[in-house]
Amino acid sequence: MKDENGLDVVEKETVQYIVVSIGNEQYGLDISYVDNIVRMCKITRVPKAPAHYIGVINLRGEIVPLMSLRRKMNLEDDVFTDITRIIILKTEEQGLVGIVVDEVKEVIALAEDEIDRNTQNSQSDKTQYINGIGKNGDELISILEISSILDEVDAS
Amino acid sequence: MDVSQYLDIFIDETNGHIQALNDNIMILEKEPENKDVINEIFRAAHSLKGMAGTMGFKKMQRLTHDMENVFQEIRNDNIKVNSNLIDILFSCLDAIEEYLETVKATSDEGDNGNEALIQQLNDYLNGGATAAPAEEAVETKAAPAKEEAASDGLSHMEVDDVTYSKIKEAQESGLHIYEFTVHIQKDCLLKAARAFLVFKAVEDFGEILAYNPSSQDIEDEKFDLDFSLVVASSQELQPIVDAIKAVSEIEGVDAKESSHEEFMQEEEPEAAPETKQEETKTEGKPAEAPKAAKATKTSAKSAKANNNKPVTARTVRVDIEKLDALMNQVSELIIAKNSLVSLSDSEQNGEGNNQSFHDQIEYLERITTNLHESVMKVRMVPIESVVNKFPRMIRDLSRKLNKPMELYMSGEETELDRTVVDQIGDPLQHLLRNSADHGIESPEERKKAGKPETGSIILNAFQEGNNVIIEVKDDGAGIDTEKVKEKAIERGLVTPEQAENLTQKEIIDFLFMPSFSMAKKITDISGRGVGLDVVKSNIEALGGDVTVKSVKGTGTTFIVRLPLTLAIIQALMVEVRDEKYAIALGSIQNIENIPVSDIKYVQAEEVIHLRGMVIPLIRLDQMLDSAPSEEEPDNLTVVIVRKGDNYAGLVVDDLIGQQEIVIKSLGKCIDNNKIINGATILGDGEVALIIDVNAIF
Repeated sequence: MKDENGLDVVEKETVQYIVVSIGNEQYGLDISYVDNIVRMCKITRVPKAPAHYIGVINLRGEIVPLMSLRRKMNLEDDVFTDITRIIILKTEEQGLVGIVVDEVKEVIALAEDEIDRNTQNSQSDKTQYINGIGKNGDELISILEISSILDEVDAS
Repeated sequence: MDVSQYLDIFIDETNGHIQALNDNIMILEKEPENKDVINEIFRAAHSLKGMAGTMGFKKMQRLTHDMENVFQEIRNDNIKVNSNLIDILFSCLDAIEEYLETVKATSDEGDNGNEALIQQLNDYLNGGATAAPAEEAVETKAAPAKEEAASDGLSHMEVDDVTYSKIKEAQESGLHIYEFTVHIQKDCLLKAARAFLVFKAVEDFGEILAYNPSSQDIEDEKFDLDFSLVVASSQELQPIVDAIKAVSEIEGVDAKESSHEEFMQEEEPEAAPETKQEETKTEGKPAEAPKAAKATKTSAKSAKANNNKPVTARTVRVDIEKLDALMNQVSELIIAKNSLVSLSDSEQNGEGNNQSFHDQIEYLERITTNLHESVMKVRMVPIESVVNKFPRMIRDLSRKLNKPMELYMSGEETELDRTVVDQIGDPLQHLLRNSADHGIESPEERKKAGKPETGSIILNAFQEGNNVIIEVKDDGAGIDTEKVKEKAIERGLVTPEQAENLTQKEIIDFLFMPSFSMAKKITDISGRGVGLDVVKSNIEALGGDVTVKSVKGTGTTFIVRLPLTLAIIQALMVEVRDEKYAIALGSIQNIENIPVSDIKYVQAEEVIHLRGMVIPLIRLDQMLDSAPSEEEPDNLTVVIVRKGDNYAGLVVDDLIGQQEIVIKSLGKCIDNNKIINGATILGDGEVALIIDVNAIF
């Protein structure tokens, strides 16, 4: 991009992330995938479904499958509280999918150079869904790779 | 000209014409002398050509044009119909269909010229012509009017009412009516001037009654290289022709004597005006007009039915009556709403009464049920659109396999949900191919078995309760269960000992296993083993099932059972622990209360003995991984479900009742779940899962 003098203007391309907490860690979700954030509602268990799916919910007349990130990352099971929220993600392939988070904190904007992409390469349950660490002041935020969270569904 | 907006109509109508041609050529093969059929074919081919031309699909136009030539010769009895010709015509139709597919995909006809086909057609045409050369020649000379309209010669004119009456008047006053088509040389610079000179020359002999294009357009040079005139004159034809030819830069003149009758069928309703001009030519005699009109009607009808493929958007053509019914119910719904509003008002005034409130709710219930039914009906289309391509397919197969066979269809008007109809084509086609290839024996074998040499395949559709049954029946050899058994042992699916105890039905079920083919050799018709299992899974995906009945030596029947509709079903709501589940009412046989003491054990499985049947018990709580119950009750509530001839008893904790439910998908993520095939939202907003009874067996 150039200004009126023809000089390059460095404009930081930032991406907005919704910061949520799961357990005692904070995670960032690319806001462009987020369709909606809703309160906890009645979950209907689906027998024989993949283990990380807790069930389905009724989102204004639509049936939306609900995924537990905790189960996905092998953490202890969710405890639903007043501040537990369901983040409804929307993707081309999977349609709507809800994920359960302990709390929704805030929305932050991070530029690419504020994200450390050199995360460890280990394939532990937890890190394979993370594609970077963002810095928000003193806090570190693990950026979740949404496509890998959802894509793996087919394989499982 | 931008014609893209007409593309949908074009595709729709072309589909219709192709279907009409397919059907009629089939009839023509059987009744080569049937003039009505030939005329209808001619009509359809002609419209096809006109439409392709209008849309600028030149290659398609060329092919249809050459086909039309052939039909023309058939009509004039210059060519005899034989199966060879029919084959060529069918491959032409396939080619046209291919064009259409390309048009659908790309809005362009593609670049396949189909030269070989055109060559074949023309060879045939020439072959036919040499068979009766003298006749042909005489015909061309004596009646140039019969010359191909679009290829060369006279292009017939359309006239309006005023001109028509002028022509009639002129003829009645004893004048000759002549039609001229004047061709101007390509390099002519002042076409309008030449045309003017022609007019001048002609006017010396008589009065020009009509121009095509209009005289204004001709003056403005808005015409190609030819234009037409209708002239009333007291003189002979030849001097006029000579006079026209005397004008320089005129390449030639086509002329003929005409009469007012030839201008009569102009009121024929036509979609594209460009085709109209040519259209009139095909109906030289007024006697043909009603037939032609009939043809239009037929093709319109089949066009209506033939909308089974998604074009740009998936559409359903709806009978206006169905919409009227819908509208009526919606107005009733509004009345019901208003009654409720007024009731709640009077409630506030403290004068409400519970009885009338209840009445209104019942009323509302009735309306919504009717509404549901009507909306469902709107989605219903006859299976005709799918099955009407089958006679052609069987004919082709019959020739390919050298086995004479006949397809008899009934119940084509049976209606099914649009979604089901869209997807039922492939499985049915497969079953028919299967019958043709494996079912029907060779003529020699049939003779030996004392059967008529021509095999019959019967496709029969009818409604049965909430299901539609489609039967594919053949009078062939039937399934050789011994051979299937051998094959199953060979494939290691069962041990020889196990095989001994298999029932007829269990053996036949092997045929539905993936990559289990009985064909001795692989043909391009069937035998690759990717067949019946796909049929089965396709049909089950639609919520239906397939069963087979076969008697060795006398034939096989495949019975396909499909639900009328997919979206909304009647279901029985049951409770397992504190979870609610829905079971489609269609698959429920009855509900029984069984004392625990009645449970018997067969091979360590729980069964119940009910009215002479042994029915396996399925504990839904275990199957659904519910929390185990603390105590076993003395009596079990058992829902007996059936799939085909199989029964099973589902043990539930409690019955809630019958309810109309809207089926919703669980979403892709949990779709691989076999037991649950959907979910529904209950009145209180809770989600209940639908148990797929088919998966239990």
